[in-house]
Amino acid sequence: MIAPRASLPRRILFVTLFFGAALCIAGVFGLSLGSSEGAFSEMLRAVMGQETADPMIGAIIWKIRLPRVLMAALVGGTLALGGLVFQALLRNPLAEPYILGISGGSAIGAIIGILMGLSRFPGVSLFAFLGSLSTLAVILLMASGKGMLKKDALLLSGVMINAFCGAVIMFLVSMTQDARLHNIIFWLMGDLSLIGLPQVGILAILLLPCFVLLFYLSHTMNLLLLGKEMAQTMGVNIVAATLTLLGVTSFTVSITVSHCGLLGFVGLVMPHLLRLALGADHRVLVPACLFGGGTYMILCDLLARSLPDQGEIPVGVITAMIGAPVFIFLLIQSKK
Amino acid sequence: MKTALSISELRHTYGEDITLKNLSFSVGEGAFFIIIGPNGSGKTTLMKIIAGIEKYKNGRVSVFDKPDHRYSRKELARVMAYVPQVFPVDFPFTVKEVVMMGRAPHMGVLGFEQEPDFRIAEAAMAFTGIKGLSERKMDRISGGERQRAIIARALCQDPRIVLLDEPTASLDLSHQIRIMDLMERLKEEKKMTVVMVSHDVNLAALYADTLLILKDGEAVGMGSPARVLTFENLEKAYGCTLLVDQSPLGGLPRVSPVPQKFIRASRADHELHRGRDA
Amino acid sequence: MDFIGNNTRTGCVLPKEMDGDMIRQWAQKALSSICLAAAACSVGAHPETARAATDQLGREVRIPAQVRRIVSLAPSITEILFALGAGHRVKGVTRFSNFPPEAETLPKVGSYVHLDLEKIVALRPDLCIAVKDGNPKDVIDRLDHLGIPVYAVDPRNLQAVKDTILEIGALLDVMPDARRLVGEMDRRIRRITSKTAGVTHRPTVFFQIGISPIVSAGTDTFIHELITLSGGINLAQGPVPYPRFSREQILALSPEVFIITSMARGAIFERIRSEWRRWPQIPAVKKDRIHLIDSDLVDRASPRLVEGLEILARLIHPTLFRAAP
Repeated sequence: MIAPRASLPRRILFVTLFFGAALCIAGVFGLSLGSSEGAFSEMLRAVMGQETADPMIGAIIWKIRLPRVLMAALVGGTLALGGLVFQALLRNPLAEPYILGISGGSAIGAIIGILMGLSRFPGVSLFAFLGSLSTLAVILLMASGKGMLKKDALLLSGVMINAFCGAVIMFLVSMTQDARLHNIIFWLMGDLSLIGLPQVGILAILLLPCFVLLFYLSHTMNLLLLGKEMAQTMGVNIVAATLTLLGVTSFTVSITVSHCGLLGFVGLVMPHLLRLALGADHRVLVPACLFGGGTYMILCDLLARSLPDQGEIPVGVITAMIGAPVFIFLLIQSKK
Repeated sequence: MKTALSISELRHTYGEDITLKNLSFSVGEGAFFIIIGPNGSGKTTLMKIIAGIEKYKNGRVSVFDKPDHRYSRKELARVMAYVPQVFPVDFPFTVKEVVMMGRAPHMGVLGFEQEPDFRIAEAAMAFTGIKGLSERKMDRISGGERQRAIIARALCQDPRIVLLDEPTASLDLSHQIRIMDLMERLKEEKKMTVVMVSHDVNLAALYADTLLILKDGEAVGMGSPARVLTFENLEKAYGCTLLVDQSPLGGLPRVSPVPQKFIRASRADHELHRGRDA
Repeated sequence: MDFIGNNTRTGCVLPKEMDGDMIRQWAQKALSSICLAAAACSVGAHPETARAATDQLGREVRIPAQVRRIVSLAPSITEILFALGAGHRVKGVTRFSNFPPEAETLPKVGSYVHLDLEKIVALRPDLCIAVKDGNPKDVIDRLDHLGIPVYAVDPRNLQAVKDTILEIGALLDVMPDARRLVGEMDRRIRRITSKTAGVTHRPTVFFQIGISPIVSAGTDTFIHELITLSGGINLAQGPVPYPRFSREQILALSPEVFIITSMARGAIFERIRSEWRRWPQIPAVKKDRIHLIDSDLVDRASPRLVEGLEILARLIHPTLFRAAP
């Protein structure tokens, strides 16, 4: 447990360094291990920049694994942070990044793209992104007016839209019989296997400023958790803060999901885990979620692609298989 | 004496209903001003309008002779602090973290606290008697202690006016007195203006410098408790029979509800009540 | 350079039935064109350089002079490669490559809809052979960018399968084996079609793929083609590739033969059969013509389609075809 006596900037620094280091270590592991057989020590040397006997190792590490590891870091951070922000905005510890229709909308968009035979990038991802924007717009319309700031209005609209989209998705899936069905299923479960460096580059450019902005608003999130009335009387512009947090987070989650599918559990479990360990101050939690979520995702992706012999397990299965027991454990702990 | 708050011809509607009808009054600096009235009288709406949470279209609200819309949100937060009736406790902030949040109007967006901020927070916690609770989580302390933590947070805003919406509503007797005494000390020691909404007429009577009785969005009476707490005013406001006599505590008025079994009043008894108001 | 096999693009529709001579002529033409192209490319270049070819999707592929390490990206391709005698050159296959048995011992590179890029690269292939229907285009592109040649095929019907076998034969320099294989296939097909072409009665067949829901195969499938060639009528023909049926609809269609795919193995097949036996008004039930067939033989784009054809012919016209010699 971080010493409560330590000053806030020092705590933030400590958390950033600690989780940042964890992220780097996970990254090195992610680059050095994988589904092909190669001595770990050889791989490690290659990662450290030394010459290796086999030039193919370099190709595997830098051209195949590197995009995946970088993307995993970005996705994990985005989803964990997304969960944190939505839990603060909606004042609901069960909120997770897909709650405002992002999962439903992007899935429908992606399925349509896949059925049309488009390739993953930019075709399917574009459709997925547009899909999530559409559902978000519908939700905002439904909950608009004074009701928008009532957290339950947003939540209810989100749940309803996701349920409706779920039905549409099941209908589309049931109508598909051929190989595209597999592509759809893999997308729905979350899939980092098709990512290349160009996609990582685009996402990094789009996401990093958003992360900075969300950190800038971390104390505002603290204040919002006292209730919108108190926050307002302490100088917070509720409407601007809510819309900014909602907009930026929805954007980051949408754009990530449109590239990687619906990776689950990171957004729900990570914030809780970190809140349990570090307390509720979002100025500490934002960097922790960012780096911690990234670390978790890198490790889950590593397990997904290196564990089975026959071919990789979808990484969404790993995040759920690890995430669900952890979540249950947390629930039991919190009841004590 | 300066005017802390000045309300002028305030009207407010909620859809079709008129919640506040043409209210005008002012609160002097350093006064203990309590608003009472039955449910639905508009007390909470009035409080929220003063706090800047609820918007209004007709009328004017001025804080220290400056109209409220001329203040920026943060400036207003440095002058006026608000303690709501209920607040959420679903996230595990510590008492100290919540109290420190009160410094927000004085800091940047990221709110990195400095030494002076820590000292102010400690002083506020000492004042409200919760110093030992600083590392406890908000959901692990009693209702009364939570209330005092929120008040300590309000004090950290370093305001000149403190607004409280039914602060004693869910507290037991000892805590009720404790809060009210705290407010009294704020007024006496820190020269703060305390504006409160209360549902407890007697508690209000024991502490208020000025009482404002609201009924259906209108002022039924305003002034010192002794002057305002008359049988007529109370019957007009609450619509039931109330007995008003003098409490042994400082001769302040005391209001008692009258059970049905006592209202087979003889004419003599009835005369007794009327005589009181001479 | 668009000369190999891609019917729609050349505008020349190769006839469905081709005899051995025509194939030989056609293949020789193809081979010489490749050699010409290779010669053209190798002017001024290293003699060991790759030659260029255009695959069935119109993509330019650089084939190395020596193709020693092949990774097959679909079970059908695996079968073709082994049937061409090139099995020893295959270094990696996809997960469900279960035929021939030797293929099962080879390293797996994921499933054909979800390929493991790293495993493919680690096998250091000279050439990967992909199928259009199934392999994600993004993976093909990534392999391309990594400098690994990927030759894509699209065998949609029996003729296209034969063309693909010849194309791959040309790629791997095993034309004699390819021609022999295709010739054998043609012989066996002709043995069937010569008898079924003139039948007076074509039984109606319901081919059941799914159990719940009941799914069958439409016109644009191998199954339809094989049923038609074996002298039957596919009751599920139509534009929908895998249409769904309710029991009522099947009752109304009154099939004379039920053929059920082996996804429903063993006990499940028995259950399906006893399900249908509850409706004795269906001719297929009355005559007890409910049969099981290995799905790999009828929906995989491989030489074994011919075997599937033979089995179907026996089931649909038992009087015409005795048990296999």
